Amino acid sequence: MNALLRLSALIDAANERIGKIAAWAGLLAVIVCTVNAIFRYTVNMSSNAWLEIQWYFNAVMFLLVAAWALKRNDHVRIDVIGGKLSRRTQAWIDILGGLFALLPAALIIAWYSLPSLVNSYQISEYSSDPGGLIRWPVRLLIPVAFSLLALQGVSEIIKRVAFLRGAIPFPGEHARPEGV
Amino acid sequence: MSFEFMAPLMFGGLVVFLLLGYPVAFSLAATGLFFGLVGMELGMLHPSLLQALPERVLGIMANSTLLAIPFFTFMGLILERTGMAEDLLDTIGQVFGSIRGGIAYAVVFVGALLAATTGVVAASVLAMGLISLPVMMRYGYSKQLASGVIAASGTLAQIIPPSLVLIVLADQMGASVGDLYEGALIPGLGLAALYAAWVLVVSFVRPEAAPGCPPESRTLYGGALIVKVFTSMIPPLVLIFLVLGTIFLGVATPTEGGAMGASGAIVMALVKRKLSWNLLKQAVESTANMTSFVMFILVGSTVFSLVFRGVNGDLWVEHLLSDLPGGALGFLIVVNVMIFLLAFFLDYFEIAFIMVPLLAPVAQKLGIDLIWFGVLLAVNMQTSFLHPPFGFALFYLRSVAPKNIKTTDIYWGAVPFVLIQVLMVAVVLQFPGIVTSHISKAAGAISGSGADEIRRQLEAPESPASTPGGADETSKPNEGKGDAKSEIERMLNQQQ
Repeated sequence: MNALLRLSALIDAANERIGKIAAWAGLLAVIVCTVNAIFRYTVNMSSNAWLEIQWYFNAVMFLLVAAWALKRNDHVRIDVIGGKLSRRTQAWIDILGGLFALLPAALIIAWYSLPSLVNSYQISEYSSDPGGLIRWPVRLLIPVAFSLLALQGVSEIIKRVAFLRGAIPFPGEHARPEGV
Repeated sequence: MSFEFMAPLMFGGLVVFLLLGYPVAFSLAATGLFFGLVGMELGMLHPSLLQALPERVLGIMANSTLLAIPFFTFMGLILERTGMAEDLLDTIGQVFGSIRGGIAYAVVFVGALLAATTGVVAASVLAMGLISLPVMMRYGYSKQLASGVIAASGTLAQIIPPSLVLIVLADQMGASVGDLYEGALIPGLGLAALYAAWVLVVSFVRPEAAPGCPPESRTLYGGALIVKVFTSMIPPLVLIFLVLGTIFLGVATPTEGGAMGASGAIVMALVKRKLSWNLLKQAVESTANMTSFVMFILVGSTVFSLVFRGVNGDLWVEHLLSDLPGGALGFLIVVNVMIFLLAFFLDYFEIAFIMVPLLAPVAQKLGIDLIWFGVLLAVNMQTSFLHPPFGFALFYLRSVAPKNIKTTDIYWGAVPFVLIQVLMVAVVLQFPGIVTSHISKAAGAISGSGADEIRRQLEAPESPASTPGGADETSKPNEGKGDAKSEIERMLNQQQ
């Protein structure tokens, strides 16, 4: 169990670090979009590359932060019934949900995204707009993000099993991000 | 062999999954994938269906409308810390304070102003709960009226543009965000007026529940007060112009408006010397986490709806809802009652992502104006914030309310305001003109002609995934503006 908990702590730390760095891409998107808008209306200049970099940044942010959000238990749940169950039952739901919902879903999406990534890389696919950006880096984000999410899923399962065996306190305290 | 049982089974499976309390995003994705695999096994679905998944995810990533979500969230989080709400409440409270129910009017007024700047409910409720609630208690307001008016005015952020809910709704229905913003403006302001009217009624029927403040509570008089009113009103008015003004004038797309608002908020925080490294870091991280969970629900619901349509679930829902007695009106009434009841259990993101993609195509087939339909649903969904026992505005208020205000006070205080919202739903239902009449076709066409909007439209034929709502139907809702669009496409093609 201890080795597993160490693995879990390692995954947690890695995803938290990745998430904290990726979050700043959101600020970059704000800045780029503002500058784009100002340029378009003042000197009537716009470039597809700069328009696309906006959503590249946004995609980096929301995809790479997802695993950290799972760790923080930020993903929304409906706790009408779930919230009233005992912590042991909640832990069981999260374990079974992790094994039969989160892991398969994340891995299937990651797996199915590989062929289009490889293809995109081989033909060096570009955006269909003139002056647009090369596509494979954003396609790469999909398998990476869903693999990280799957890893975090493994970590969450380990923590809940450890909780059921009395090794650690309840890991699933409800946290809802501010600002919703 | 027919597989008509699949769609109801799938929907039932999702409901069970959600009720167990597993995260919504993964419940949606897993239910979709499970039934997708079963469908392929039964030979009902073609294996290529799931290969469409990565393109769909890419479509969500590239969606320029959804880009507005982090922008407005970020703006709201920054503003929350700059003390703009505090300034406003303090000043407006001084202006109205001495009349009967004055602070309650100030709360409604400031709630509407904050709503027009940030679009984030939590920020408004927390700020007003922290500042106005103690003041109202000190001068003897009824606990129920005080907590009700604060929670309700906070939820105005959800209906008055630039609200996040309207962005999500527009995306799910394939409508223009700008049009939905314009359509929601009058109903939103109407709600604020009705809240104020309710305060007026209470102050006449039960004067002791909404007293005026004694003259000695005022610290500013005459010229000083006027100056303070102007200085505290400038920041929100500048932001409202930056965001809503540019969107309504057709100068900026909602996404650009959001980015400029966020940048404006940063500049304002810098000017006020409130922007610390720590504050910026917190805002960036909270924005990322919130955006991530919203986008992942969207990814999940895309997986779900992809398979749900594959097993003809859309036909099933359409069949259920279009056979209702009373045609379009019958459909609208049933849908509104259903959303009102669902709002007790779900919050607006879940309703918008799960229900709206099922309802919008049916509404369209019945000839219902989608902008009007969207505003109607948005007003209705607003109740989800105020419904005891799960309304989020009530949670937020509880977390900052003094101990001597009981949770039941907060719950009962919300009830009249929920009824006012239901009244507003009925008004919008009865008089569609208050939503649709002032949406100028021209403004819609212009606001839809921002560069990235054009690119999105041009991309559409190549990647149907760019309208995550799903299949072909969702591209039609724009029919009203179809001419403008093809015009733009023609123009661009000529240029190339």
